[in-house]
Amino acid sequence: MRTLIRWAAGLYPARWRNRYAAEFDALLDDISPSLGDLCNVLGHAMRVRATTHIDACLVPTLASPMTLRMPLVVSMSAHALMITLVLCAALGYVTPMPLPLAAAPLPPPAPDPPPQVTDVRVFPNALTSYSSLPLGEGAPGDSVRLYVADGVGINFPSLPDIGAVFWRGDAEWRVWPGQALESFIVRRVLPKYPRGTNARGAVSVFVEYLVMRDGSVRILRTSGPAPFTSTARSAIEQWVYRPLEYENRPCQVVSRVEVRFDSEFANSDTSL
Amino acid sequence: MQDPTILILASLADGDKHGYAIMEDILVFAGIRLGPGTLYGAICRLEERGWIRAVKSESRRQPYRITAEGSQHLKEQLALLGQVVRTGNRRVREA
Repeated sequence: MRTLIRWAAGLYPARWRNRYAAEFDALLDDISPSLGDLCNVLGHAMRVRATTHIDACLVPTLASPMTLRMPLVVSMSAHALMITLVLCAALGYVTPMPLPLAAAPLPPPAPDPPPQVTDVRVFPNALTSYSSLPLGEGAPGDSVRLYVADGVGINFPSLPDIGAVFWRGDAEWRVWPGQALESFIVRRVLPKYPRGTNARGAVSVFVEYLVMRDGSVRILRTSGPAPFTSTARSAIEQWVYRPLEYENRPCQVVSRVEVRFDSEFANSDTSL
Repeated sequence: MQDPTILILASLADGDKHGYAIMEDILVFAGIRLGPGTLYGAICRLEERGWIRAVKSESRRQPYRITAEGSQHLKEQLALLGQVVRTGNRRVREA
């Protein structure tokens, strides 16, 4: 294709070639020319040639008008024939391939794959935002941990109202995600799988709690089946945080956790 | 915004460039790939009008530089384009 375009560039008038041929040649070395580029060069070469001839016709001269028009007619005919031949040859050459006439739009970036729980024994169907981290007590430096006990796990669900501020009397409550509180935790008690239930499979309980100024925890709301909420509540009430601060002021923070119970793994050897 | 001369002037407003650099720059900032014929057709016209000039170079790749007249012409064209954009946006909002 590059050779064809170089040949097509030869159709430019001599004045144009003398001025631009070398750098045009360098440009062809830099790009990956396509059939579209060939057509582009052919079209422009023809336009420049025609313009040049017409300009020449407009120059006062002693030659007859017919003499002036003849080169234009012959040149146009000859070039039309050459273009046809070149296009036929080029099409025959590239027909089996898609014609790169225009740059195809880049495909949209592939969406990030959903995070997967690393240990399918525990939460086979759970998708959590931090599950690529190792289960159990993470190595020092891990910012987020997934706590797993005997058939019980604690997740930090995403909060739609992160950063919201509520006023209860004079007290200011800020909604923070559970992950943000992880660096403040002093004591965490994991719930026990409640005995004597007929539940089968996974049960989720959501607990909303308030971290007081002294770091103790007060349960605000729970949702889920009674035996599971009470065991989750009694465990989370024993959590202790370091006193929290926001802009160098002590503050009280609301957060929520999801406690997942799974009968399949209760009393098994899956605790980590 | 398909006029190659304005695109080339806008590219050279950022500094001297040779043909391939102009082509790549326009592809980046305007998303338009000029064909080699279009590029050199426009360069030829711009040079004839005195809006750009070739810079001395030992390389085969001839760099070009925008002239003061070219810069002035670019400013005028961009101002006109800005006026069109503002008017169009206002009318679209009111429609």
